[in-house]
Amino acid sequence: MKHLTLILAILIGSATVAQAACYADYKAKQDNPLQLHYGVAEIQGDCSVENAASQLLARLGSDGWQLLNVLAVFDDGGLDQRKDSAGEYFLRY
Amino acid sequence: MSISSATEGREIGSRIIIGGILAIVSILFVAAVLLFINLPDANAFNARVEQLFIENDTLTGNAEIKLLEILAGSGTAFSDTLSSYRFVIFVLLVFATALLIAAVAFLVMLIALTRRMARIERSGIEVNSLQINRDQKAVYLNDFEFKLTDAAIETLSVLAEARMDDEVLSGAEIESVISGRDPSDCDEAAGATRIKRLRDTLGNQMISELLVKNIARKGYMLAIDKNVIRMD
Repeated sequence: MKHLTLILAILIGSATVAQAACYADYKAKQDNPLQLHYGVAEIQGDCSVENAASQLLARLGSDGWQLLNVLAVFDDGGLDQRKDSAGEYFLRY
Repeated sequence: MSISSATEGREIGSRIIIGGILAIVSILFVAAVLLFINLPDANAFNARVEQLFIENDTLTGNAEIKLLEILAGSGTAFSDTLSSYRFVIFVLLVFATALLIAAVAFLVMLIALTRRMARIERSGIEVNSLQINRDQKAVYLNDFEFKLTDAAIETLSVLAEARMDDEVLSGAEIESVISGRDPSDCDEAAGATRIKRLRDTLGNQMISELLVKNIARKGYMLAIDKNVIRMD
C-alpha cells in the first residue's frame, strides 16, 4: 500500500512534469500609425516555435495585431526574467 | 506672296502651334510622372523601424519600444511634408505649362509678324483701308485723302462693289453699270476711258499697278483685299 501511493505520487509528479507549461515570447505590430509590442503568451500543445507562431498569429490577428516573429519558447523558468519587458502584454494573449 | 500661299502659311503656323503645345504638355506630363514616382515612399521610414525592431532581440523593453514608435511617428509626419511637396510640384508644373504654351504662341506670332513685314516690304504699299466718301467726293487710301471728280468717284464705287462680290468687270460692263444701259449696247472703249480718267486723277502708273488693275482679256478690278473696303 505504501509502495502504491509512492508510485502514484511519482506518476502524478511525472505527469505534471510532462505537462509543464509552455510559453513563447514574440514581437507584433500594428500599422497606421506604427505600433509595436513585445509580449509573452502561453502556448497549448507542442512546445515549438512553429506551433507558437501559428497559435499567436490567430490570437493576435483577432485583435488587429500582426505577428512579426517568435523569439523563443520556454517553460516556467523563463517567465520571471521576461515579465518586466513584456509589461502589459505579459500573458495577455 | 499670293493669297493661297498665305493661307498655307497660316495652316502650317497653326500646325506648329498645336504640335508645340502637345509637345510641351507631354514633356511636362512625363516630367511630372517621373517626379512623383521618384518621391520617396512615406512608409519607407516605418518599414525601417519595423526591420530594426525585428532584427534586434534586445529591443524588447517598454522604453525602447516607445522610442521606436516615436521614431516611426516622426516618419509619418515626414509623409505629410511629402504630400505638401507633391502639391507644390503640381502647382509649379501647371505654371511651367502655361508659361511654355504662352512662349510658343508668342514665338509663332513673332514668325507670322516677321513674314507679314517682309511681305509688306516687298509689295511696297499695302492698302489697309479704302474708304469712299461720296458726299465729300473723296477717297481715303490708308490715311491719305484724295479728292476725286464725280465721274471718278462713280467708277471707283463700281469697281469697289464689284471687288466685294469678287467680280471682274470689263470696260463695257463698267459703262453699262454707270450709264444704266444694257452691256451689249455699251462700248468697251467708253469704260476704258473712265478707267483711264480715274487712274489719271489718282496718279496713273503706280495706281494701275497697286489699285486699279487690268486683267488681260477679262477686265478691271481693284487689287486690294475686299475686307478693307468701306463705302459711306
